[in-house]
Amino acid sequence: MTTTLWSATVLVCLLMYVVLDGYDLGIGIATLFERDPAHRRHMLESVAVGWDGNETWLILLGVALWAGFPLAFGTLLPHAYLPMTVVLFSLVVRGVSVEMASQAPPAPRWTAAFGVASLLASFAQGFALGTLTSAIHLRGGVYTGSAFGAFSWFCVLSGLTVTAAYTALGYAYTKHKSSGPLRESAGRRGAAVTVVGGVLLVVLLFVVNATAAPLNLDSPGRAFAFAVLLLFAAGGAGTSLVTFLWKRQSGAADTLPLGGLVIATVSVFLALGVARYPMLLPPDLTVGSAAGPHSTMVFILVGIGLNMPLVLAYNVFAHRAFAGKLDTAGAHS
Amino acid sequence: MSLLDLSRWQFAITVMFHMTFPAITVGLSIFLSVVYGLYWRTGRAVYLQMFRFWRRIFAVGFAIGVVAGAVITFQMGLNWGVYGAKTGPIIGPIIGMEVVTAFFVEAGFIGVLLYGDGRVRKGTMFVSTVMVSVGTVLSSTWIIAANSWMQTPAGFKVVHGRFEPTDWMRVIFNPSFIWRWPHMLAAVLISASFFVAGISAWYLVKGRAKGFARRSMSIALGIAALLMPVQLYLGDSVAGHELPYQLSKLEAIEGNWDNGDTGFVLFSVPDQQAARNIAELDIPCLGSYIAKDLSCKTAMPGLKLTPAADRPDMAATFWGFRVMFLAAVLMFGTAFAATVLRMRNRLWTARRFHRFVLWTTPVGILAILGGWVTAEAGRQPWIVFGQLRTSAAVSHLAPGEVLFSVIGFSVLYLIMLVAYVGYIVRTMRIGPERDDPRHEPPPQAGPVPLAGPPASFAPREVAAR
Repeated sequence: MTTTLWSATVLVCLLMYVVLDGYDLGIGIATLFERDPAHRRHMLESVAVGWDGNETWLILLGVALWAGFPLAFGTLLPHAYLPMTVVLFSLVVRGVSVEMASQAPPAPRWTAAFGVASLLASFAQGFALGTLTSAIHLRGGVYTGSAFGAFSWFCVLSGLTVTAAYTALGYAYTKHKSSGPLRESAGRRGAAVTVVGGVLLVVLLFVVNATAAPLNLDSPGRAFAFAVLLLFAAGGAGTSLVTFLWKRQSGAADTLPLGGLVIATVSVFLALGVARYPMLLPPDLTVGSAAGPHSTMVFILVGIGLNMPLVLAYNVFAHRAFAGKLDTAGAHS
Repeated sequence: MSLLDLSRWQFAITVMFHMTFPAITVGLSIFLSVVYGLYWRTGRAVYLQMFRFWRRIFAVGFAIGVVAGAVITFQMGLNWGVYGAKTGPIIGPIIGMEVVTAFFVEAGFIGVLLYGDGRVRKGTMFVSTVMVSVGTVLSSTWIIAANSWMQTPAGFKVVHGRFEPTDWMRVIFNPSFIWRWPHMLAAVLISASFFVAGISAWYLVKGRAKGFARRSMSIALGIAALLMPVQLYLGDSVAGHELPYQLSKLEAIEGNWDNGDTGFVLFSVPDQQAARNIAELDIPCLGSYIAKDLSCKTAMPGLKLTPAADRPDMAATFWGFRVMFLAAVLMFGTAFAATVLRMRNRLWTARRFHRFVLWTTPVGILAILGGWVTAEAGRQPWIVFGQLRTSAAVSHLAPGEVLFSVIGFSVLYLIMLVAYVGYIVRTMRIGPERDDPRHEPPPQAGPVPLAGPPASFAPREVAAR
C-alpha cells in the first residue's frame, strides 16, 4: 500500500517535471531557430522567472526515488551514468546562462549557450529514459556494468522523441505568452514539431517490444487502460495540432495548444507506466524489491506528501505572479 | 588514480564549488530582507538602492548554487550508488524534506524577489524576500542534519547491510547536529558579511557612492562583530562535542602522530605512510592550554592511537582546520578593529582599514571551505562514521566514465567561477549609482522598459487595475 502510494508520488514528480521543465527546455531549443534577437530575448525572459521552480521537480523526482526506492536510485543512475552526467552539465550551463543573460543583457553568448544547453539537456534526458529499456547487471544487489552497456539505438530514438515533445511544449508556451509575429511563427513551428513528435512516438511504441523491456499488456485491464490513454494522447496532440494553426487571437487559440500537449504528454507517460508497472528495470528490479523500509515510507508519505499541496501552491503563485502576455507585438527596442 | 580516488575528487570538487555560493547567498538573502524591510518602513531611497545592487550579485550566485546543488543530489546515486542504496531510507527523506520545505519555497518566491520590484506591492515584495531567506535557512538546516547523521549516526538499525530508521527524532537531532547547525548558520552569515563589507570597502577606497557603501559596510561589519565571538565559542563546542564520537578526526586536526605532545602544531607536512611529520613547527604548551590549562601537562592524542586502516588523511584534515581557524582569527581581528574604529568615530576615515577590508572579501568563504574539508576529510575512511566505509560505498563504474565526468565538471566549474567573478567585478565597476531610485527618469506612460527580464510582462497587480 505505502509502496503503491509512493510510486504514484514519484510518477507525479516525473509528470510535473516533464511538463514544466519540458516547456522551459523547449523554449530554449526554440531560441536556436529564432533569428530575431528581440524574440530570442522575450523567450528567454519567459523562462527566467520560472526555470528554478520547474527544475526543482527534477530534484524532487530524484530524491523521491532515493528515499522510497533506494536500490533503484543507486542502480538506475550508474546505469545511465553518461547521459545523466550530460543532463547535469547542460542544466548547470543553462541555469547560469539564463541568469547571466537576464541580469546583464544583451549577452548574446550566454543566450546562445542557453539554447545549446537546452537542446543537449532534452536529448540527454530522453536518452537516459531510453536506457530504462536495457537490462541491468546486478551482482549481490550491487550494480556492475560497462560505460556503454546500456546504450542502444532505442535510446537515440527516445532522445529525439523527448526533444520533439519538449520543443512542441516550448512553442505552445511561447504562443500562449506572446502576440504578433512571434506568436504566429510559434504556432506554425509548433504544429510542425507536434507532427514530428507524433511520428517519432508511434515508431517508438512499435520498436519498444524489441527491447529488453517489452510492453506488458497481458491483462485486459492493462490493455484497455493503455488503449484509452493512447486515445487521450492522440486527442490531445490532435487538438494542439489544429489550434496551433489558429491565427486569430483568442483564449482557445492561445491555451488549447498547450493544454492539448500537456494532456498528450501526461497520457503517454501514464500509458507507458501502465504497461510497465511494477517493473523498474529489466530483467527483475521491481518497485517492490527496490522499496525502502516501512518506517521510511511512513515518514516520507507524511512529511513530503503533506507538503505537496503547498509545493503546488508555490508553483501556482510563481506562475500567476507573472501571468499575462509578453509585450511582443509592438516595435522592438 | 583509482576509481575511488576519482569519485572522491569529483565529489570534493562539486561540493566545494557548490558551497562557495550558499556561503554568499544565504547571508545575502537575509541581508536583502533586512534592507528591504528598512526601505519599506522608512521609505529611504538608499535602502532600495542597496537592495537593488546586492540583488544583482545575489541573483547569479543563487542560480549557480541551485544548479550545482542539483548535481550533488544526483551524484549520490551516480557515483555513490552503493551509499545511495544503503543510506537512502535515512538520508533520502531528509533531503526530500529539504526539497519540499526549502527548495520549492525559494523557487516559488525568487521570481518576485528578482523581478517583482516596482510591479508588486512593497508588502508582497518584502514577504517574498523573507520567504526566500527562510528557504535558504531551512535548506541549511536539513543539509546539516543529513551530514551530521553521517558524522554521528543515531536512531537506526542495520538490516541486510542497509540503514533503517528506528527513531526519526534521534536521526535528525543526532548528537553533532545540535552544535554544527548553529555553527554553520553563523558561518554563512559571517562569510556574507565579509563579502558585503569587502565590496563596500572598494567604493570607500574609490570614493564612490559613499552613502550606499557606508550603510552596507556598517550593517555587514556590525553583524560580523556580533557573531564572531559567538562563532569562536560554537566552533570550540563542535570540536568538544564531536570528540567522544570521532577521536580520530581530532587527532588528525592536532597534527601529532605520537601521544604525549603538549604543544600546538602550527605548521606541518605529514607523511601518512610513514606515520610521521616530515616538517613541523609547534608552540610548546599551547596545546595543553587550549585543551585544559597552562600546566603544560595535558597531552594531545596522536593519530597512532587509531589503527592505520581507520586513520583519516592527516594533511587534508590538519590544513583544512588551519585554514578555517586562521581565517576566523583574522575575521575576529577585523571585526574587533572595526568596532574600535566605529566607537572612535574613525570608521569612515580610516582609508588603510578600508583597503584591508577589501582584501578580506573572500576570507569567510575560505573559512567555510576549510571547515568542510576538516569535517569530511576528518571523517574518512568512513562515509557513515564507524558504520560504512567510503571504499565500500562507491558505484562500480568504468573508470573512463568517471574520468570524463571529473574533467567535464572541473572545466565547467572553473568557467562558471571565472564568469561569476567577472560578473561581480563588472557589476562593481558599473556601480550602485544606476540602482539609486533618486536618479531614475520620471515614469512614462505605458510599459516601462527597465533592465531585467519581465519588463515586458503585464504584471498581475497592474493589469488588474
